[in-house]
This record gives sequence, structure tokens and C-alpha cells, in this order.
Amino acid sequence: MNENRLLIDVGSTYFKVAANNDVQQHFRDFNKNIFDDLKYKCEDIISKYQKEDIFICSSANGGLSTLIIGITHSFSLKYAINTAYNSGINIIDTVLYSQIEEVSIPSDLIDVVIVVGAIDGVSGVFDEKLLNYLSQINYSNIVYVGNKDDAPYLKENIEKLVILPNIIDEKLHIQEEPLKEYLTNLYQADIVGKEDIKHLYDITANQIFSTPYIVNQTLPLLVSKFKVADPYILIDIGGATTDIHYSKDLVDDNMVIDNEYDRLVFKKLGVFKSKESLIFSAKNNEFVYELLAYLKVTENIFDEQSEKALKILMQLAIFLVLCKVSNYNKAYVTLKLNALNSLVFTGGITKVLQQEDIENIVSFFYKKILNSNHNPSIVMDSNYDIWTMATRD
Amino acid sequence: MSLLQEEREIILNNEYVDNFDFAEVEEFVKNASKDLFISYNFAKSNKMLVQPRGGFPTYNKMFALYEFFVDANVDVLPCTIDSNTRLNDYATSKKMLRLSEENEVDMLNGYPLVNHGYRTTRKMMTHFNKPISLRHGTPDARLLIETAIASGIFEIEGGPITYLLPYSKNFPLDKAFLYWKYVERVCAKYSGLNEPINRESFGPLTATLVPPCITIVIQLLEMLLSLEEGVKSFSVSFSQSGSMNQDIVMGAVIKKLAKHYAKEINCEDAKVHLVYHQWMGAFPQNKDFAEQLINMSTVIASMVGADKIITKTREEASGIPTKEANAKTVANTQYTLRILNGLPNIVDEEEEEILTEEVMSIMEAVFNDPADTLWRKVFNSIKNGIIDVPFSPHIINNNEMITIRDANKNIRIIKRGKVPISDRCYEYEKSKCDLTKDTTSIVNDIIHDIGIMQ
Repeated sequence: MNENRLLIDVGSTYFKVAANNDVQQHFRDFNKNIFDDLKYKCEDIISKYQKEDIFICSSANGGLSTLIIGITHSFSLKYAINTAYNSGINIIDTVLYSQIEEVSIPSDLIDVVIVVGAIDGVSGVFDEKLLNYLSQINYSNIVYVGNKDDAPYLKENIEKLVILPNIIDEKLHIQEEPLKEYLTNLYQADIVGKEDIKHLYDITANQIFSTPYIVNQTLPLLVSKFKVADPYILIDIGGATTDIHYSKDLVDDNMVIDNEYDRLVFKKLGVFKSKESLIFSAKNNEFVYELLAYLKVTENIFDEQSEKALKILMQLAIFLVLCKVSNYNKAYVTLKLNALNSLVFTGGITKVLQQEDIENIVSFFYKKILNSNHNPSIVMDSNYDIWTMATRD
Repeated sequence: MSLLQEEREIILNNEYVDNFDFAEVEEFVKNASKDLFISYNFAKSNKMLVQPRGGFPTYNKMFALYEFFVDANVDVLPCTIDSNTRLNDYATSKKMLRLSEENEVDMLNGYPLVNHGYRTTRKMMTHFNKPISLRHGTPDARLLIETAIASGIFEIEGGPITYLLPYSKNFPLDKAFLYWKYVERVCAKYSGLNEPINRESFGPLTATLVPPCITIVIQLLEMLLSLEEGVKSFSVSFSQSGSMNQDIVMGAVIKKLAKHYAKEINCEDAKVHLVYHQWMGAFPQNKDFAEQLINMSTVIASMVGADKIITKTREEASGIPTKEANAKTVANTQYTLRILNGLPNIVDEEEEEILTEEVMSIMEAVFNDPADTLWRKVFNSIKNGIIDVPFSPHIINNNEMITIRDANKNIRIIKRGKVPISDRCYEYEKSKCDLTKDTTSIVNDIIHDIGIMQ
């Protein structure tokens, strides 16, 4: 780690401060705003560094909520989803343009709407149906990364529309950089606008990135520090969300992008802020009662507030995310979990579960869901090295 | 413990691997018969080695195949791996192996090496005391290669480009480079114990209208990636192109430039060999014609001075060849080689000069990529279209280069895409072709070419 840098990660439940190979973790005091809490606990170390040498990433404000409108699941929507996830953005919904007149209108405020579709040379894809739909939703930003020919029409009719190069090139390859840059900049602007976090710029002169984006950037470096073999997945179970970063050779359907790893986020599988939805998902899983018996507890555990209950929730979260990316549950991505060599865990989960707790649940998952004795190696990033490795570069 | 060793332990801690014993395998390699090493056979043999293709799912059928091959005077035994194993799907290959054993019907198109395991396979591989070549087509061959070497297979075919661009649509190319780096390191590590493990690139690529400069560049790059990891015995290869003259020129240029670039990275101590593949395109339905085609390949292999020839069979157009057909082709090839004596040394200076310039221009562009490692430079070059393999199904391939045959059946580039060959070479290539034809006729020529040997 660069000795002249102070690295800070602001999570929804913890913040972590790293310098000189030493990582401190502090549980957040929710009665204070993040900046005051951080200053209160870490003033000594922060005061030793120049603003230029302090690097911060954050997932504390929940990230940007995004709605994507595209014309095909296989190209436009898929590409935009991929880029948004890898930029650390959370997607609240996707709309297939052919169904735009029938879909329900989201009631939440959307941070950014992404409109994408068709290769350059095709025109007349978007019409007043799009304008009608947009007029009914509440959004702060809108960006167009679709075919070049429709851009003037949309520019004329949509206020504050940002137009970027088409995300799909003529060979149907993904051109993700412009959108990625736009989304990461928007994230920064969003942070500046959030009362809770914007004061962090009082202590750093560098851009604050989203934590998932930073973690995604670090994955190619992971082998230099951890006993891990590709292909692997990294699971980050936090207070609000669960992120999976996965090696691209675990999917059949790849896109040509620069990073070797992609990200998926499960917004409703956190153990604190989204605990209720985690329990809801668990109760709807046909294996859950067998799983609880395997863990030697009953469903009463869901009503308990104890360390044991927290551990069980964490184990359930692992089981559920593995289910969601396996053949058992056809989600956005199905991973070839039988080819997995390592499973890396980071985030709050490493503070609660022991290695054997994780091995226990992973083994149950492989036996019950995949009918396999496969046994990927388990790696615990207990010291939060992963995000510090990313930030230092 | 080194990072490589840590990775090896994770890779071999797989449910389909039965307790891999590193120390025991090292001891085995150290004491293995030198005859099992193709690098040793290359050094001691004064003839071209003949190697067929072939692989069956069950141990008994594989053993029977080898018995046939030995009777047919084979020099190198093949071990062709089934397609499930190639995709790292050991669960399916295990199931299909069991069905093959129970029903005596081949449910796999090759030998599921990982499922058989090295302890069992080694008995067969050491029994015949001949070198064995691993043929597979796997982008992530780490577990397969460990099992192969532990079994006594000391020649490993493939590479990150040649086993990906012709075979795969989606597998990430950057990952393939890293996984093959592991393979090279393991081969280099074992090479210090006895004779060198030989690595062989797969030159035929898509086997359809691949221009010589692309074939050679990819061969050279895979060779360099292997040598820089410490491999000491490497085979570059290509397949019969359809033009005898072009094959002879290609053979001369690839040998010359392999030596040149190995020296550039201070690896001139490594032994580089040349392997020639009999016709890899579509085969004639007429089995007599197929046999003539195969025989012609053998003659050309002699003229290019190949160290090894890999055979095809007269049954190629009608399905998976039988062991009898494979054995027959080996016997025929050996016969042809025995009667070929005193062939003239043909040199086409103009063609050699053009091809050399084309290859060196592309190589220079690859080396000029700003990335910090060779594999990343090569990766970027493929992604940017500096290297473009015609008819590759892979999503990363640029697919802008267009090639056709001239009147003498030479493969010529008529659209270079982003491949940086000089204007002089490009004009030379085009000047050999009749480009006054309309586009439809050119497309029809290309389609016809896929079946050129009919």
C-alpha cells in the first residue's frame, strides 16, 4: 500500500480507514452525519494527510437508481445493464420499448434514465411513445446512448437530454467507455448533492467513486494477494445490498469489454437495511426449511435479534445469492458454478461469519441445488484488503 | 509457497480429481522413459514423425486404438479429449463415460482424461513407451494439463489464440491468455526434471482461407509467450493451404522468423520444431480423392521439411474415423515418406520477401502496442483488428479481412481491414487476383473455396 495515501471507504454500516497497511473499521453512528462521525473517530489520522493524498469511495448513499429503456434484451438492454452495474450503479427497472405502453410507471424518484437501442444507420426507432412514458416518470437525469439517427429527434423533444455515442457498434460490440464515464461522474455529482456525504470533499481533493466500481477495478489484481484461482466470484454482503463480481468465463454469453469481471447487484439482499426482504426471499425458497434444519435452527430465528440470528441471516444471504446466479433461478445472469475454483467474501459478512460457517453453507448449496460435491476454495477478505488494493491504484 | 503453487493446489482440489500428489508426479516425470518425450524423439529421429488423430471415451477402446496405431508404425500417439472436458464440464463427461462403459456405445467424442484420472491413464501411456500428444481445444486447460503430464503425456497442443479464435464464440480472450500462462509455467517447471515438455501451437486456425501472414504471426506470438515463461521445446505449425507453392514459402518463412524472434527475446537456446497438418478443410466425399489429397499433403510436408506430420483419414467427410481408418492412414503416410527421396529445394524469392515483410509489419505493430506485457499487447492487437482471423466465430475477432484464391490457388488478401500490411504488399496481393469480378462472383468464389478439394 502506498504509504503516502489515506484510503477511506464509507459503507452503509461501517466505514474503514486504511493507511500504512493498517485498516481500521468503525461501526457507523447513525445519530451523526457521516462526515462528523468520521472526523470524530479518525481526526488524528485524517489530519496527517494532505487533501490530495486522501482517496474515498462510498456506497453509503445507496448509489444512483437507474431505469433503462432499450429495444432488445440481447443487445441494447443487456449492454446498458452491464455498463451500469460495472459503473457501480443500481438498476431499479428495465423497460423493453415494445412494451412501454403497458408497463407500470415507477413511483420512485429515478436518478438517471438511460435510453438505448439500435445500431447507427437504423432510424425511427423512438417516437412519441417514449416521450409519453418519460412525461409520467420522475427523474433527475437522462442520457441517450442509442442509434445516431434518432438523436436529433430526441434532443429536440426531451429536456436536458445528454447524448453520448451509441453503446453498440456496427458489429454489435459494446462501446461502454462514454456511458461509464458519464455514470461515474454523475455518481460524483450525486454525492456532492447529498447532504450526508458532500462534506467529504472537505477532506479530499480526489473524485469519490462508488465502492462497487472500485472493487470491480481491483479484481484482476486479486491473485497477487490472495490464495485464489480463477474463475472465481467475489460476494460482498453488506448492510443494504449484496454484490457479486464474477469472472466472465463463468458465463456463456460474454461481451467484449475491457474488464475481465462483471458485477451483479441484489438490492434486496442486505442483512440490515433490507433485512425484511431478505427474510421474505428466504421464506419463498423451497429449500429454506431444510436449510434451517441443517443449520440447527427453526424459523423462529427470523424474529430474533441476536448474534446467532445475524449469522443465520448472513448464511441465508449467501445461499440465496448463489441460488440467484445458478440454474435453479433464471435471473439476468446464470453462472457456471461447477467451474468455480474460488469464492471470495468481503464486506460486513467477514466480520460475522467464520470460514467454516461459509464452507458449511456453500457445501449445502452445491449438494442440494447443483447435486454436486464440488468444493471451491473459500477466501475471506477480513481485512478489507480488496477495496484498499483498488483505491491505491 | 509460490503463487503458482497456491493456484495449482486450488485447481487440483476439484471434486473430479482424485487426490493429486505433486511430489509423486514430480518423481514420475523425473524418472520417466525418455521415449515418452517428443522433444527427445525430435532430437534422435532422422525422419519426419507421423502422428494420427484419435480418442475414444473408454479405457479399453483407447487402449485398442493405441494397439492398432503401434501396429501401423505410428511415431506419436494422440490423445484427443472429448468436447465436454474441453468445456470444463467434467460432470457431463463423467456421466457419459459411465454410459459408454455400460452400453458399449461411444457417448463422447474423445478421451475424458480428467475423469479417468492420472493414475489409471498413466498405465496406458507408459505401456506403449511412445510419445503422446494431447489434442483438445480448451481455453482453460489448467486442470487438463496437470492431469496429462501426471499421466505421462509430455506434449501439449494449443495456445490462447489458436485454441480460442477457431473454437469459441464467447470465452474471454484475456482469460485464455492468463490460463495458458499457467500452462506454460507448469510445462516449464516440469521441463527441468527430465527432457523438456514440448508445447505445440495449433496452426490451422479456422482452416478456411487464412492468409499465411496471419497464421505465421499467431504461431510466432504463441511461441514467444511460451518461451518467455521458460518452455524449451516448442512446435510451430500450419496446415496444407491448398497451394503447394504457398506452403513451401510459408515453411521457409516460419522457420526463419521463429529463429529470429526467439533470439529477439534471448531464447535462442529453445528448440523450435515445425509441424505440418494434412488438409484441414472440407474433405471430398469420394474416399479415393480424399486419399489422394492426404498423399499430396505428405509430399508437401516433406518439401517444407516438417519435423512432424499430423494425419487425416479417407473417412473424414463421412463421420468420426474408425481406428482401422486411422491406422491405415498412418501406414500409408509412412510408406509415402519412405519412398520420397531427393526432393528438389524450391524457393520463390519474391513470395518469401513479400510474406516476410507482411509478417514483420504485423509483429512490429503488436510490439508497438503500449501495454506492459506481451500477452496484453497481443490481446489488444486482436481486439483492435491488427490480427484478424478470417471466419473466426469469436466475438472479439475483427472479421474485416477478406481473402480469396488467385488463379494458382494461393490465398490472397483483397481487403486488409486493420491489419497493418504495407501498401506495397497489399498491392502485390491484390495484383494476383481478378478483382474486376462483381461482388456476388467473389462471394461465390469464397463459398466455393470452402469445398475446394471436392
